[in-house]
Amino acid sequence: MRIVVVLGRVLDPAGIVVNARAGRVFVNREEYLLQPADRCALEAALRVKDELGAEVVALPRSPLPDDDVLRQALALGVDRAIYLTGEGLRQADDAAMVRALKAAIERLGGADLLLTGATTLDSGQTQLGPRLAEALGWPQVTAGWSLKVADGRAQVVRQQGSQYVLVEAMLPAVVTLQPGSLKLRYPDGARLVNIYKNVGEIAQALETWDAVELVGEPLTPLVEGRGRDFPPPRERGARAAGSAAEMAQAAAAALRQRVGR
Amino acid sequence: MDFTFSPEHTALRRMIREFVEAEVAPIAAELDREHKVPYEVMRKLGEIGLLGVCFPQKYGGMGAGETGYCILMEELGKVCTSTATNVGAHIGIGAMVIHLDGTPEQKEKYLTPLSRGQKIAAFGLTESNAGSDAANIRTRAVREGDSWILDGGKVYITNGGYADIITVMAVTDPALGARGGVTAFIVETDWPGFSVAREEDKMGIRGTSTAELVFEELRVPHENVLGKVGEGFVSFMKSLDMGRLTLGAACLGGAQAALDWSVRWAKRRRLFGAELAHKQSVQWMIANMATEVEALRSLVYRVAWMVDTGQPFTQLAAMCKMYGSEVASRAIDMALQIHGGLGLTRDYPIERAFRDARIAEIFEGTNEIQRIVIATNIFREHGVRIRP
Repeated sequence: MRIVVVLGRVLDPAGIVVNARAGRVFVNREEYLLQPADRCALEAALRVKDELGAEVVALPRSPLPDDDVLRQALALGVDRAIYLTGEGLRQADDAAMVRALKAAIERLGGADLLLTGATTLDSGQTQLGPRLAEALGWPQVTAGWSLKVADGRAQVVRQQGSQYVLVEAMLPAVVTLQPGSLKLRYPDGARLVNIYKNVGEIAQALETWDAVELVGEPLTPLVEGRGRDFPPPRERGARAAGSAAEMAQAAAAALRQRVGR
Repeated sequence: MDFTFSPEHTALRRMIREFVEAEVAPIAAELDREHKVPYEVMRKLGEIGLLGVCFPQKYGGMGAGETGYCILMEELGKVCTSTATNVGAHIGIGAMVIHLDGTPEQKEKYLTPLSRGQKIAAFGLTESNAGSDAANIRTRAVREGDSWILDGGKVYITNGGYADIITVMAVTDPALGARGGVTAFIVETDWPGFSVAREEDKMGIRGTSTAELVFEELRVPHENVLGKVGEGFVSFMKSLDMGRLTLGAACLGGAQAALDWSVRWAKRRRLFGAELAHKQSVQWMIANMATEVEALRSLVYRVAWMVDTGQPFTQLAAMCKMYGSEVASRAIDMALQIHGGLGLTRDYPIERAFRDARIAEIFEGTNEIQRIVIATNIFREHGVRIRP
């Protein structure tokens, strides 16, 4: 069995101080963590591996400036990690990323299960999993709280309204996991040192693939940024005083003026 | 010159911080209150390889060097001095002697389970008549065929109450004294003749076991002699050098935590119409603490780098221990002053830190001993041999 986990990074919130009064964010320590929901997806994959045996392969969920999250995943126990790079990938949006990931999974020789986070901590992105399922033509179960694999099916507990229901999907399938859904494991110390020092067997487990070459055509993003536009600043309200009738008159006059009559 | 941490050390700190926040911080107050040793934390630390942080991967370690070990002690020291002390006695002195002077067979047999936390180590040096005066020990070891018979005892042994393996220093030739007459042995605590006489009830580091040990006709096979017969004193002193550096790193964590609490409180607490942060008296305390913390950080990690690159560091390790313990005590004292009455209550970790900090000026050689080490080294460079 091959399990693909799609992982992203987030700026460590513990390194940031938000000063609401000054309207500023101070970054004291710029350090990136695995997205919490992605980390749960990774944990779910490693648990399936522990129970049934599987090859777990990590792929990035978005264009990354470095391969740090993939090294973190290797330290935690994935067997292989593929860093995607290439001209034009930096601007890639989810649509382009889905094409790159689909091509990467094909290059791997397919997979039985694709796991990723149900949401991202910083941008609240939820669509990567479902879009990948659409592109691959696989069934999907989103926002799972737990995952088991048995009899060629993924069994996922998810919340539906006020209750939890067990949903099954035939493999291959895409499952997204909720942040905080699983108790996480720690990396293995020696693996961590070796992967960051680029020594030993584990250094061979990190590969770099050119995404554009993988897809065979430019990764043009579906969405294009053409600048920024902010809503106009809001006008301040006015305070009316006097008797109820006077206040009503003032309010009516102000409203008339605002609509231009 | 480059003061940045390597990628593996940055990743290691992230891993340790995650562990400490999830596993150690929630129980730190309880360990102190209930006088409990963090067995479970030690087991988990071993499982993920952290109890072998500075030992070679060949013997179950991580291979992250002395710098990695200092990072571990700093992060533990921020949250729980007791846990840091358990870890320090285990890695820094107990297992360190085996790492430094053990044979490949001894390392295979003892260092591997110690690195993985399957066994816990302690360091048996101090006696009732010989603590800082380490050359004055009385525990005797007499050769009998293929083994040595140990008689005597040790006091104030950290981890002594629950350790599986204790490195013990004993006199093998009373005529020769410290240089030549003292030998180090690896003792397993389930051997007949070993017993724990009592556990101390202490003001600080209450989450540790400090025990008095007794050896009565304890038979130790000759293959458990550590290093050469008669060279135990040198082995133990080398190990203590490492321990002193990493104790400095734990103190750095404690001092940093005191600074962090103080800044947080000074931002919140209002007095006479403004936050404490706006009071010059508090600003000066914060500025002094921050400066000392940074000076200590530079010292600790520079010495760690010296160890990792194979340079002599005895004098600087003594400075780490002495300066580190005094910086931590001062910083925690100032943090208590800034917090006022609140700092004295059990609702805040400052009173615990205050009690825990004091021992750092005493164990692993009192600060007076460290000053002797430093001064002796300085005068030796100028041709003066200091008499004890």
